[in-house]
Parts: sequence; structure tokens; C-alpha cells
Amino acid sequence: MNKKFTVVIVAVVLLVVFWVAMGVERNELPYATIGELENYQGKLDGKRFRLGGNVQEGSIVRDKTNPLLVEFIIEQGEETLPVNYHKITPDMFKDGVEVIVEGEFVNGTFQADNLMTKCASRYEGDIRQTQMTETKL
Amino acid sequence: MVVYGATLLNIALGLAVLTIGLMVVYLRKGDYRLFLTGQRTALGISFLVFLATIVLVSNLLKSNFSIDYVAKYTSLETPFVYKLTALWAGQSGSLLFWLFILSVYATIVVLQNRFRYHQLMPYVISVMATIQLFFLLMVNFVANPFNPIDAVVPVIDGMGLNPLLQNPTMAIHPPILYLGYVGFSVPFAFALAALFSNRLDAMWVRSIRRWTLFAWLALGCGIILGGWWAYLELGWGGYWAWDPVENASLMPWLTGTAFVHSIIIQEKKNMLRVWNMVLIITTFVLVIFGTFLTRSGIVSSVHSFTESSLGPMFLWFLLLIIAVSVFLIILRLKDLRSEKKMESFISRESGFLFNNVIFVSLCFAVFWGTLFPVISEAVRGTKVTVGAPFFNQIAVPMGIILLLLTGIGPLLAWRHTSRKSLVRNFSIPVVVGLITFLISFLFGIRSLYPLMTIGISGFVTGTLVMEFYRGIRVRVKKFDENPFAAFIRIISKNRSRYGGYIVHLGIVLMFIGFVGKAFDEDNEWALKVGDQVELAGYSITLTNVEEEERPNHYAWIASLKIEKNGEHFTDLYPEKRIYFHNNPDPNRRQPHSEVDIYSSFKEDIYSIFGSIDTETDVISLKIMVNRLIMMVWIGGYLLLIGTVIALWPSKLSV
Repeated sequence: MNKKFTVVIVAVVLLVVFWVAMGVERNELPYATIGELENYQGKLDGKRFRLGGNVQEGSIVRDKTNPLLVEFIIEQGEETLPVNYHKITPDMFKDGVEVIVEGEFVNGTFQADNLMTKCASRYEGDIRQTQMTETKL
Repeated sequence: MVVYGATLLNIALGLAVLTIGLMVVYLRKGDYRLFLTGQRTALGISFLVFLATIVLVSNLLKSNFSIDYVAKYTSLETPFVYKLTALWAGQSGSLLFWLFILSVYATIVVLQNRFRYHQLMPYVISVMATIQLFFLLMVNFVANPFNPIDAVVPVIDGMGLNPLLQNPTMAIHPPILYLGYVGFSVPFAFALAALFSNRLDAMWVRSIRRWTLFAWLALGCGIILGGWWAYLELGWGGYWAWDPVENASLMPWLTGTAFVHSIIIQEKKNMLRVWNMVLIITTFVLVIFGTFLTRSGIVSSVHSFTESSLGPMFLWFLLLIIAVSVFLIILRLKDLRSEKKMESFISRESGFLFNNVIFVSLCFAVFWGTLFPVISEAVRGTKVTVGAPFFNQIAVPMGIILLLLTGIGPLLAWRHTSRKSLVRNFSIPVVVGLITFLISFLFGIRSLYPLMTIGISGFVTGTLVMEFYRGIRVRVKKFDENPFAAFIRIISKNRSRYGGYIVHLGIVLMFIGFVGKAFDEDNEWALKVGDQVELAGYSITLTNVEEEERPNHYAWIASLKIEKNGEHFTDLYPEKRIYFHNNPDPNRRQPHSEVDIYSSFKEDIYSIFGSIDTETDVISLKIMVNRLIMMVWIGGYLLLIGTVIALWPSKLSV
């Protein structure tokens, strides 16, 4: 009997490993630096990325009549990238803060649908302020 | 005072070394006086840690800004309660707090077992003292909460506590989570003691049953409270984001849950002895790993503390624990192996076994997903993340299987279940499950996972109700009691069993709450006063925006009139606040969205005031209709009640 159990358990475990590997395959999202984007020359449209950087001082432009339309520039060392975002921004979002954006390129501009902020300077314990992409069960 | 605090921690460090030394010598020489002295020095470590904690707390309360920690996490205007909770707001303070809770546990363990478990206690005390020693090394040499402030001029006022942390739920979420985290060190210490002393019978398992349940409960409550706080305070309308730090607390909970189940088999059948050792050691390793993950900055998380030099030390400690444990298990493998074998697939043992396999697999999946950025960078050279969709894809089907096992397991008999009893026990619940499945199908639910979850929830609820019904019926017949008295009696006569059932019922409710997530609706708008929008059958009108200056913040308050079918339903008042609005440095001002929520069993209306343009008076507003979310919180309460029932001491056992 114990042998049978071992077989079944090994089968279950293998199934899980396979399932996890497939899940990774399907959901992986490259965490690229702005510099690395050049490697995708001309093939950026429709590709999903997760990018990190700091919000460039004074780059946040919010539409006067529709505050949901936000444009800003993220910088990573010398590299910069303009970002469009059409949702409510997190409370911590302001000039200079470190952000992580997720989204894809549409006609050459980065359209973020997820904006996460990190507040590095003021508090040691960083606090989540994210607009999460809806992940349905 | 500052000097006292640091000195106390110094002496405690010395005592920890002394305690371990005394126990080692006692075990070699057998002089009982050495053991008694070691017991006292062990109590001494904890006592000094208590004193050091009191010193830090009193300095926080007195706003002694000559201490760096006090100046960083409190200010003169910080309310009293939050000066207290600042103890765990930062890196070094929270390490001391970890140590404090560990010391409370160590004290209880030593005092409680003064006259018991003589073979185990020297080892238990040594292991606990070693863990204390590790944290004492941290607070003494790496992150000392008593470090004086690095400033030439005296500091007049501190920096203050993050307004997000100034919330009652947030004040109790970390301590409760820590109670659970640290609580697993006790069963771990007993497990290692059993291995060291080669006393591998069921004694060590029995000695830690209640400790394990308590730690498991506290960790679970801590996780739920964290989700609740995120929901009420953070303004994104969710409670779980598969963030690395959340995962770090979930992983030991998963293995801990597996352990809580599998020790039942060891108690009743003396089986799975190697497995139980592996499980509790894994759980404790995951606890230390979680503490490490939060503090090392190796994965970017929104919860994490600033990167620090703590990382390598934690890794060494982890390696030490793993090395010692693996060595001991291999050494004792022969003695650990159980004589008994599984007899049938359709048995209680097998139910528990599969429960364990799934829990551990789920834990592995969470581990893999959490560390995937690190792993992929090491292996492939590029950082690749897997987000919430990955975790949901894995966790949802596994969760459904676990839910199913919740219903099946308790009805299976030990060793082997006959076909007759299968039919007798399962026919009614299966019918209930099918009916709930059909009803939800008729109500228009077409997606597979929600349908399965609802159907299985019906089945599990059916089994639980049947179990209670049977127990009550027997008593009513036998003792001629009224059903309610019988209900109370069966619970009090068999606390761990029926407490467990109540926990299972709580889990069912939580799953119903998770299903609700699939039917959420939300939208965001730019609005002016007078504008009306529609969502999920509600019409929402922005009737007014007021401004108000309050003691430490400035607030804009939106008035929303919510109507349903043309009739007034409720009003919501979400706020946009700027904390420290008078601070001349704009970077010090802190915007904050204070959400307003209408809650009911069926759904929550969740309103977020995103931003306001002070020139055009246009505001951005987000409304979410979150279905069945209250079931998650009610399920959490049942989990608490059920576990407390299981924990409650009966007259016989201690």
C-alpha cells in the first residue's frame, strides 16, 4: 500500500511542478531597465513590461478637466521614458519618488495600467499605494 | 536611560551564551544544579529583554529625541497610542519587539515545564536561547534601537509616524502577526529537543499541540487583520495582492496548517513522524526566511524595510538551522520511521496526507513565484516577475481541492472506510452540493471556478451540518437533552473536533468571499459637482465638495448620493487629505485618500476620492462594488472562535 501511496504522491507533486512551470511561462513579465528597451527596437508595440525608475522632477502633467489623464517621465540614471497613465494615481505618487509601472507600448508610447510607488526617503516602512490591475478569480 | 537600554541588551547577550554553555555542560556531566542554574539564566535573558523593551517604550513615550529611533518614528504631535506602537514601526525597534515576544514565550515555556519533560527541557531551553542569542546579536551590533542620534544640535522634534500606520487595525496587525511568527519557535524548539534527545515518541507532539494551535491562530489572525487594514485604509479596494511580504507570512501559515493536521495522525496513529519533523522545521525556517525577506531588500516589496546589512546574518542563521535540522533528521531517521503503514486510500490518514501534500505544494508554488525574480536573474540573467495572475492561477484550483478535502476528510474513518458508510455519510452532502451548484448555475453564473467553489461549499457545509446533527441526535436520544443543550455539550465534550469544524465553516465562508471577487465591478470618473454616474445598478451623484482644516491635515470631503431604482440608498463621504499641510517643505506633505465604504452581506460600495484640481474643481473618483467581501471577515471571526474552542483547556489535560 505504501508503494501505491508513494506513486500517487509523486504524481501529484509532478503535476503541481508542471502546473507551476506553466503558470510561470504564461504570466512572466520582463522586469526591464529603460536602457534594455532598445534591444526591442521597433518591436515594442503590444509587448508587456514592468519598468522601474524615479519620477522626473516637474514632469507630472495632469489634465485640468480630466484628472484621470496623467503623463509623466520616469528616469533611470541617464535614461528617460515618457509614461501615460489613465487611472487614479496612488497617494505617494509625486516628483522624485521611485515607481514601478506595468503596461505595454501603444504606438511607441508606454501606456501603464498599473502604477506602484515606493517611498524611500521619509519612512523606513514603505507602504503600499497601488492601483492594482484587476485580477479576477 | 539610553545607556541602560544598550547595557541591558549587552548583559542579555552574555546570559544567552552562558545559558547555552550551562545546558551543554549539564548534558555532558549530568549535574542537576547546572540545569537549575541554566533555567534561571534563561529566565534572566528574557527578564533583561523585558527591561530593555520597557526602556525603549518609555523613551518613545517621553519623546527623548536624543535616541535616533525615537526621533525617526515619533514626533511631539504623535498621539500617545502611536508613540507606543512606534516600537514596531521601524527596523531596529521591530527586531527588539520580535525578541520581546520570543522572550515572553521562553519565559512561559521555562516556567510551565519546570517539573515536566526533563529529558527535553535542557534542549528546548538551549534552542530557545540560541534563537534569542541570534536576535540579541542583531540588536546589539547591527540594528541597535538605542543608538544615539547622529546630530550635532539637539533635535527639537522627531519626524513622526507615517499617517497610514496611525490606524487601530494597523496598530494591532504587526503584534498579532509576530505572536504567530514567533510562536512557531516553541514547537520548533521541542522538535529539535526530541531529535537531540532521541525521545521520538508522541510526547513532544502532545507537549506542543496547544502552542502550535496558538501560533497558527495568531498568524492567521495577523494575516486577516493585515488584509482588513489594507482594505479599510489603503484605498485600492482589495485585501490581498500576492506581495512578497504577504507571501512571506502566508508560507509558514500554509505549512503550519499542514502541521496542525498531520500531528493529529501522529497523536492517534503514531505515523508520519519524519514528515512532522520536516514540516515544523520548514515552518520555522519559513518564519525566519519571512523575517529576512522583509528586511533584506532582495525582492522589491512595498512593505519592506530599507535595505540593510541584516541580510547576510539572517542567511547564515537560516543555513545553520537547516544544516542542524537536516543532520539531526538523518541521524535519527531509523528511529523516526514509523512501523505502521497506510492501509487504504479511502481513510482518514490518507485524507490528511493529501491535505498535507496540497498545502506543501501550494507553499512551494508561492515560494517559487515570490523568489522568481531572484531565481530568473541568477539563472537567466534577466529579471522576470510573475504577478498576481500567476498566483491566482495556481492557488485557486489548489484552494478548491483543499476545500473539497475539508468536506471529505472528517467523514472518513481511520484505516479504511467501508462503502456502506461512504454512502451513508456522503449522500446528503453531495445532494446539497449539487443543488447549490445548480442554483448558482440558474442564477447565471457560468465561470467554472466560481461554480465549483459554490458547489463544493454547499457540499462541505452539508457535511459539517450533518456532523453536528448526528452528534446532537445521539445526545438527545441518549440523555434526553434539549437540542440546544446537546449542541453546547458536544462542543464542550470534544473541543478540538468541533472547534475544528467551526474553523472549517469559517474557511467555507472565506471561500465564498473569494468567489465574490469574480463578480466585482468598478469604474473611475472625472466629476464636477452635480455630475451623475452609474455603476452596477447604483446611480451616484456628486452633490458637494467641502474643505476643512483639521489639526494635522487638510481635507476635501466629497458628498456622494447613492441611489438604487430611483430611491435614495445611502450617502458616502470619501476624503482627500493632505497630512502635515503646513510643512514648508512640500515633500514632507503627505496626501492620503480616506475611503468611505457602505458594507452589507451582499456587497460593499467602496468610494475613493482620487484627486482634486483646485482650479477647475474637477475631482477624480473611483467606485468599486465588491461582492460578498464581508464573508471573508465573518469567516475570519469563525476561524478565531473555532480555534479558541479547540484551544480551551479541558479539565483533564494541561
